[in-house]
Amino acid sequence: MTTETTSARPAAGPRKGPGRRPPASSATKVGRPGFAWALPAAVFFALFAIVPLIMVAVLSFMSWDGISPPEFVGTDNWSRLMDDPVMLKSIWLTLLLTVLGVVLQTPLSIVLGVWAAGYQRNRAVLSVIYFIPLLLSATAVSVLWRALLDPNFGIPADATWLFGDGNLFGEQATAIGVLAFVSTWQFTPFHTLIYQGAARAVPPVLYQAAEIDGAGRYRQFFHITLPQLRNSMITSMILMIVGGLTTFETVLILTQGGPGTDTTISAYYMYDKAFKGYDFGVGSAIALALVVAATIISLIVVRVSGYDKMRSTMEGVS
Amino acid sequence: MKTRARLPRLVACGATLALALSLTACGDGNGGASADDGKIHVLVYGDATNKVEKRIVDTFNKTSDVKVVLDTIPGADYQQKLQTIISTPQAPDIFFNWGGGSIKPFVKADLLLPLDDFIKKNPDLENKFLPSVFNNAVVDGKPYGIPMRGTQPVLLFHNKKVLQEAGVTPPKTWDELVDAVGRLKDKGVTPIALGGGDIWPTQMWFQYLFDRVAGPDLLKKALAGDKSAWESPESKKALNMIRELVDAGAFGKNYDSVKYTNGGSVALLASDKAGFELMGSWYYSQQLTDHKEFAEKDLGYSAFPTVEGGKGDPKNVAGNTNNYYSVMKKTKHPEAVAEFLKLMYSDEFVKAQLDIGNLPTTTNTDEFIDSAVSPEYSRFQYDLVADAPSFQLSWDQAYPQKASSDLHKAVQQFFNGQLDTDGFIQAMQALPTE
Amino acid sequence: MSRRRPNYLAGAGSLVWLFLVGLPLYVMLAATVRTRQDYADNGPVSIPDSFTLDNYTSAFDSGFGQYFVNTLVVTACVIGIVLLLVPPLAYAIVRSRGRATSAVFRLFLLGLAIPAQAVIVPMFYLISEAGLYDNLLGVILPTAAFCLPMSALILSGAMRDISPELYEAMAMDGASPRRMFFQLVLPLSRGGLSTIVVFSALQAWNGFLFPLVLTQSDSTKVVTLGLYNFQTEHGIDIPGLLGAVVLSMVPVLLVYLFARRALVQGLMGVGGK
Repeated sequence: MTTETTSARPAAGPRKGPGRRPPASSATKVGRPGFAWALPAAVFFALFAIVPLIMVAVLSFMSWDGISPPEFVGTDNWSRLMDDPVMLKSIWLTLLLTVLGVVLQTPLSIVLGVWAAGYQRNRAVLSVIYFIPLLLSATAVSVLWRALLDPNFGIPADATWLFGDGNLFGEQATAIGVLAFVSTWQFTPFHTLIYQGAARAVPPVLYQAAEIDGAGRYRQFFHITLPQLRNSMITSMILMIVGGLTTFETVLILTQGGPGTDTTISAYYMYDKAFKGYDFGVGSAIALALVVAATIISLIVVRVSGYDKMRSTMEGVS
Repeated sequence: MKTRARLPRLVACGATLALALSLTACGDGNGGASADDGKIHVLVYGDATNKVEKRIVDTFNKTSDVKVVLDTIPGADYQQKLQTIISTPQAPDIFFNWGGGSIKPFVKADLLLPLDDFIKKNPDLENKFLPSVFNNAVVDGKPYGIPMRGTQPVLLFHNKKVLQEAGVTPPKTWDELVDAVGRLKDKGVTPIALGGGDIWPTQMWFQYLFDRVAGPDLLKKALAGDKSAWESPESKKALNMIRELVDAGAFGKNYDSVKYTNGGSVALLASDKAGFELMGSWYYSQQLTDHKEFAEKDLGYSAFPTVEGGKGDPKNVAGNTNNYYSVMKKTKHPEAVAEFLKLMYSDEFVKAQLDIGNLPTTTNTDEFIDSAVSPEYSRFQYDLVADAPSFQLSWDQAYPQKASSDLHKAVQQFFNGQLDTDGFIQAMQALPTE
Repeated sequence: MSRRRPNYLAGAGSLVWLFLVGLPLYVMLAATVRTRQDYADNGPVSIPDSFTLDNYTSAFDSGFGQYFVNTLVVTACVIGIVLLLVPPLAYAIVRSRGRATSAVFRLFLLGLAIPAQAVIVPMFYLISEAGLYDNLLGVILPTAAFCLPMSALILSGAMRDISPELYEAMAMDGASPRRMFFQLVLPLSRGGLSTIVVFSALQAWNGFLFPLVLTQSDSTKVVTLGLYNFQTEHGIDIPGLLGAVVLSMVPVLLVYLFARRALVQGLMGVGGK
């Protein structure tokens, strides 16, 4: 596969020796696609995602229960949220779970991804098994894990030295732990794939050179593999952060925000207000705040990392 | 390079095909739910028991010119869906609900058809149902729902073998229950199995005990907007009794991690690891399906214990009174709808419900009870409901739907000690009542 | 291309992970071939002492055939729309130097953060106004729209990997942006293309919220909604439900197996590497 890859990108490395700068910029004007190429997708997306989002923004200034006509209430919903202790708590919980997600999933998926990029024989079979959690619907995930973590008949009953009385869903710390674990379980396969692809694309010549210098496996990993994975790490982390800030399904299916409000993250609180409390105004305000927050964070990551300025990274090879 | 050049064409072909497909889908997908297709749309809670509803619809369509279409909405999200469409042209003609608070907001928004005209023309639509059940869908003095599944009173189930080994008999009074808890605990079993992860099983202890201690009036007052009801001495007494029971270890320590819905608490009782479980009448058929041997040999049941000096009638029951069909005002076929509702007390309906283990609340249920799956058990329930002076609707159904999330939180937090008595009272007072 | 001895530390880690992933999968598969009574009596982790295929047949009996067809239509159409819209978009994002295009890129980053739950009520009104309620097209359009941001991110990442010299070489032959797109960009990003196909297929296949709110009758029901046939108001038939889940996974797993090589290759492009 690697040979195929290198041939698909016709020997960019060697051809582009330091002495041979191509005269492209001066001699030939390279045609670039205009805005028209992006237009159909932008229009389609605006119609089905941005327009509803604008309606949500308008709703956040209204009081509406879904039945009677909505009424304008100014900034009432927003000021109510500011004073709401559950809202404040939910922001902390959201940040905590997002950070936990990134901290748990990143090293795990890097290690798994790099391993899977190797050429062991069992790798192909295992990669398929690792991929399956991604295919399961939320219903299936909740049914499986609630059954597996049942204190009387599941794993905790057989491992009391680890789980004590098994009241995993009855206390905040353990409930948060379970949530972080289950999202890791479900989403690591995806990030593993990203790293697997990236690790495969690291030019073997780099390792060969390092071996000649006598670098051991772990030095190679930290000095060659990791730096080469940098761009993938940025993409994967943007996805993790945005995902962490906005996913609520795991909470919905596993803890329903409980015990009490101990795992009520902001996105779940939005759902709770809008669809259980029929307070669509407040629900919309939370939703909008979340979208804005997640966008700002991902824009910061993009800006700091220079992701959007990136052109071909083949230049980095030589 | 050749294989690669082929790809764009492949993509283009695929895209064209997909587009063509989606256009065809557009053409023939028009099957359902436009409001004016000359049919009556019935929206029901979609689950494994829909077969009776389907059968009744088939019976109706055989003779009627106006056809009924049954639309099932996945159960857990039924309420969310209903709330989204009810004030739009996509609203159905008839819909499934839980009576009480679940339809009150719709009545207030003037969306529902009061059924008194139907009843005037055909008094059987009221007379054929047990009054305590029928009355739970009466809002502001007018009837808005016809019972359409079965009644589900909550009973105290027990494991005969475990009780016997601990020298305990099914408790008739609260004191006997507390005594039994102590003895079962000494034996090393969890005295009472509880699926606290679902929260509504926890709530059952509240609604029964409040009814026994304070009588049904407390909740009526609270629902009418008099929030002082929650501060009354009776309310505090009931809360103390719950506190004592939990602190005595009656439910073990990990009840919040156990679920009823995935069979966790059910297995606890069936595997001799617990003595009691408080649950709705559907519990019996659940045990029969999951643990047949246990259900036939060792599963016992009794009414909720009485409380000495309590204001509530010891014969009162609590639970899910029934499910109801309510009618939208906008329906274009009121006559056909009235005809359809008549089937809800037909012999065919009653027999079909009994066959799947439901207990309909019609006056003719009595005649067919001996043909039920387990006649003795059905008889016990039917008499319990028929003799009850009051049937306390589950709290989360008596309150408007929008209160249920906060209500559940308060119940769970008081039970596990996150809220004290005053905290719980405040939380209940903060619930919206309309 | 074989090189170097196997990495034992990573291998051991991957075995631990295999256990964590494998155990739930074992529980799932075991549950689907045992009776409900066996499952309830012996608990999830035990070894089945009964064997039955009833859980699979009952899944089919509950109308899964029709639901499967509907889900297939939705999935195929979503993939079609994504393949039609995203490649030109990603091409523009990577190659265009205009301000408008970089604004579009930011728009899609914003889109990445919109939870479907947040917009579901406006979406319902939009779809009803368009006359698409209870119509598969009404599910297809929003589902496809919500696949776009992630697909754009993935595909533009893959396209960044194409060396600028190749464009220059084509430009010297006098190629238009259009010709470059068809003859250079598309062929070289087919890995990325298969990634977005798998991604959109997953989204469409497992989609729950849009079908729930935007369809109603049995003729437009999709598989994920049909899973509720195994649930009652007060309990779940776990073996039956999991049987249906396994059945519904098979097609996506097949797609994955066939596309895996291309997929892994395509993901090399994510993040520009």
